[in-house]
Amino acid sequence: MSSNSRYDAIVIGGGHNGLVHAAYLARAGKKVLVLERRHVLGGAAVTEEVFPGFKFSVCSYVVSLLRPEIIRDLDLPRHGLEILPLDGTFTPTPEGPCGSKGGYLWRVNDHAKTRREIARHSPLDAESYEEYGKAMAEQAKFVKPILGMTPPDPGRLSLDALRKVTFLGRRFRDLPEPDQYNQVQLMTMSAVDFLDQWFETDVLKATMSASGIIGTFLGVRSPGTAYVLLHHYMGEIDGAFRSWGFSRGGTGAISNAIAAAAREAGAEIRTQSPIARIIVKNRRAAGVALENGDEFEARVVSSSVDPRRTFIGLMEPNHLPDDFVEQVRQYKFRGSSGKVNLALDALPDFTCLPGPGAHLRGAISISPSIDYMERAYDDAKYGRFSRRPYIDCVIPSLTDPSVAPPGKHVMSCFVQYAPYHLKEGTWDEQRETFGDTVIDTLAEYAPNLKNIILNRQVLTPLDLEREFGLTEGNIFQGELSLEQLFFLRPVPGWAQYRTPIRGLYLCGSAAHPGGGIMGAPGRLAALEALKDWKG
Amino acid sequence: MPPTRDVIIIGAGHNALVTAFYLGRAGLHPLVLERREVVGGAAVTEEFHPGFWSSIYAHAAAPLAANIVRDMRLASHGLEIIRPDPALFAPSNDGPALLLYRDVTRSAQSISQFSQRDAERYSEFARVLARLAGVLQPLMLKTPPTLRNPHAGDLWTLLGAGRALRGLGSKDMFRLLRWGPMAVADLAAEWFESEPLRAVIASRGIFGAALGPWSAGSGALLLLRAAFDPEPASGVSFVRGGMGKLAASMAQAATQAGAEIRTSAEVAAINTRNSTATGVTLAWGEDIAAKAVISCADPRRTLLGLVGPAQLEPDFAARVRNYRSNGVLAKVNLALAGLPTFTALGGQGGTALAGRIHIGPEIDYLERAFDASKYGEFSAEPYLEAVIPSLSDPDLAPPGQHVMSIYAQFAPYKLRDPDWHQKRESLGDAVVQTLARHAPDLPGLILHRQVITPLDLEEQLGITGGHIFHGELALDQLFSLRPLLGWAAYRTPIQGLYLCGCGTHPGVGLTGASGASAAREFLKDWKKRKA
Repeated sequence: MSSNSRYDAIVIGGGHNGLVHAAYLARAGKKVLVLERRHVLGGAAVTEEVFPGFKFSVCSYVVSLLRPEIIRDLDLPRHGLEILPLDGTFTPTPEGPCGSKGGYLWRVNDHAKTRREIARHSPLDAESYEEYGKAMAEQAKFVKPILGMTPPDPGRLSLDALRKVTFLGRRFRDLPEPDQYNQVQLMTMSAVDFLDQWFETDVLKATMSASGIIGTFLGVRSPGTAYVLLHHYMGEIDGAFRSWGFSRGGTGAISNAIAAAAREAGAEIRTQSPIARIIVKNRRAAGVALENGDEFEARVVSSSVDPRRTFIGLMEPNHLPDDFVEQVRQYKFRGSSGKVNLALDALPDFTCLPGPGAHLRGAISISPSIDYMERAYDDAKYGRFSRRPYIDCVIPSLTDPSVAPPGKHVMSCFVQYAPYHLKEGTWDEQRETFGDTVIDTLAEYAPNLKNIILNRQVLTPLDLEREFGLTEGNIFQGELSLEQLFFLRPVPGWAQYRTPIRGLYLCGSAAHPGGGIMGAPGRLAALEALKDWKG
Repeated sequence: MPPTRDVIIIGAGHNALVTAFYLGRAGLHPLVLERREVVGGAAVTEEFHPGFWSSIYAHAAAPLAANIVRDMRLASHGLEIIRPDPALFAPSNDGPALLLYRDVTRSAQSISQFSQRDAERYSEFARVLARLAGVLQPLMLKTPPTLRNPHAGDLWTLLGAGRALRGLGSKDMFRLLRWGPMAVADLAAEWFESEPLRAVIASRGIFGAALGPWSAGSGALLLLRAAFDPEPASGVSFVRGGMGKLAASMAQAATQAGAEIRTSAEVAAINTRNSTATGVTLAWGEDIAAKAVISCADPRRTLLGLVGPAQLEPDFAARVRNYRSNGVLAKVNLALAGLPTFTALGGQGGTALAGRIHIGPEIDYLERAFDASKYGEFSAEPYLEAVIPSLSDPDLAPPGQHVMSIYAQFAPYKLRDPDWHQKRESLGDAVVQTLARHAPDLPGLILHRQVITPLDLEEQLGITGGHIFHGELALDQLFSLRPLLGWAAYRTPIQGLYLCGCGTHPGVGLTGASGASAAREFLKDWKKRKA
């Protein structure tokens, strides 16, 4: 084994969290190697030319949660990060002829405009919408520091835990009373129950509640979904809350910018380097062995893949306590979503609002009613993809023409629910039927769609698992349910990025604060690892 | 003009009677005003068919908190609790029946028909539940700390809870923290592999609540119930003579302690002046002045109905309106000419039917029963918890005949179609047909059938939305949040007005804990007032 195969730290996985993690370690002067299984970096934050001339943000497709301190620390704009605005959400509804009341709900960032639009459905809701926005901004401000914090461990009485608990307690106490009230509700209620308190318009509540279920195996009426609502409300671009955007060049450009920052700090990054196992000696991480037999030594190994892959896939079970392994097995993935990427010859034309208007530049949400959303979930509970799914579409080529040939477009459709575990048949058999269901659903609102599809890529939860290593196809590397959050993520007692193996860290979305292109787990894990380095 | 009373208690439900007792014991003479002709609220026994007596609403105690039974000396006032064994009989779809006993080892034998592994894990599960209950039960009997602006006493409670938690050891502590927000289906699946057992365990997380086994937070409900009854089988506790006997014994204890109870005395309004309670007005206009009022009615009825939104801060009134209390549980009482024969018992079975009869053989079955209710419908295959109390208490029915009492879920208060007065009997049919699938001779044995829907519960008992627990049992309406954040200590924004019903902590059933805690908080204020 040559000396250049020895590193201070090895990072498993070149997704955005692995890269952030590597960049922070490298900036602290560590000799870091990132090993990525695929030929391309980014994990689920990746741009690929799936069809010639058409570039897709294959999995994750919008950005907003990326932590501002990471953008700052790693100087990402200098490395090519550019966020383009994604303005508004357009929700077509089936009932009501075009032009009549109903037909669609179109919310944009311009408050006055959105207010007028909502007033078309309910003047009362237009009033509440204003207040709701303010209240949620307050809630997001309260929760945000938690995203930048390593969770305390209630199982061990330490000064650090006491300090953090006191800090959180004080912050809560100092909140104005109505905010305390909202905060408690957000942590416990269902998205629909929470929104019911504010609004009466069904389609408004339905489309808003959608962000409460993304990446979970829960329905909009399931308790705990109000929190995910907030999780998605915490987006921050240029200091403006609740603004979502595209990254120029697709989400892969974000990963590339982070990779550039990591390389500049001295990190070495290798693609096409699948890992066979983590080498453990004397209950300490000692390095990794690749599938091709190469071995690399390191004092620290950080895994940005999920706990099941890390502890059950890449390690001999006898290195770990039985209790711990059992908890890892209990960690829930249950992917519930798929993705359909379309190469289009022209723009879709919505019956309720014809023409290539600005409504196509934002998100297009198929979430016409609460019952529609809930029925979509009911299908999934019994092991079937939704016959009429919730779909969130974007057409990034309208904002960023570089991703499609002139005059053509890419359309990215996030689809829920598509349960990983099917009761009948396999995903390989049902992939195209699933794709058809998505197209049929969309064509109910934009009938020309079927005629303008040049190519389509259908990603089932099984494909997400095979291609991107997302176990059971869960886009957040594990469900964002209350019992898998904060000091319980990924497993109780091990929420501080450390593991029962000394020198082995978790730095992916399965660690606090979870998924989305946020980078927080990568950064926090790096800070914890560096703390141990000093100790 | 009659003299001003010290304290009036609205309603003579079991919690109100507990409050009245403790107030009487402290030297007060509370006046209890009950709208109906009988005391007990949902705890009554009625002759619903000549010769057939049923606890027509609640048919079992939760069980009652032991300290309350002791303090009120209920046994000496005629209370006799019957705890049938086997605790539970759960027929499966086609196979054998699951029978759970008070004895864990005996239960394990029955479980082993389905899974040897489950049989082994059952006793471990029972031990864990018992340990967690040891920590939780004291919390159920305490006033929840206010999270909003904790004072010294609250910090003490929190600290005590924290210490008790830590005393559990980190493994159990994390169980408690994880299980609360979990879906009870996940919880059951982590422990057991056989569907009948999973469904039985999960049912405790959804009973009486608008939750399916896949709803997050149903785990919390299982834990709260286990706090009072850690037996995983959760058998019923009957009262000899029916639930009315419980109310009667409590009323006797309260009266002896110094309370005065007036029935057929409907309170129409709680009177206030400068946000302070001054007394009540009865339905026929009679005013009764009092220094304090304690309401056992549900929070919405008390604050929006009896006090009136005009007397409340608009924000507070809005929160009370948002308090969810739409019931999902219906009740069917059957007078039977004989004991039904359950196929799963192979024709024999008397004693096997003495406890809880659980109809809900699979998690998916329970979830489907719940699904319908989300869209304002009731399932053709409802989840049922039935009992035949006349097996252990023969006086309830003529010789050889029986009374069957059935809780049916999910029957949503708000139906999409007209209303319950039109749909009542079709719900009754669905319940009987569901039972008949397991006991084919049942329909032929029915002499009389009484169906009580959530709307009936509202109209007959005055519970808003007909929710048997006076408000949804969801994470955001429990413990320090029951009924509302900042108002979980049995007080209200109206000075001198208290809540003592099931809409306050712990609120999980007939335990008497709400009534006892409300009395404790009231007396704290009362002593300060006198000093």
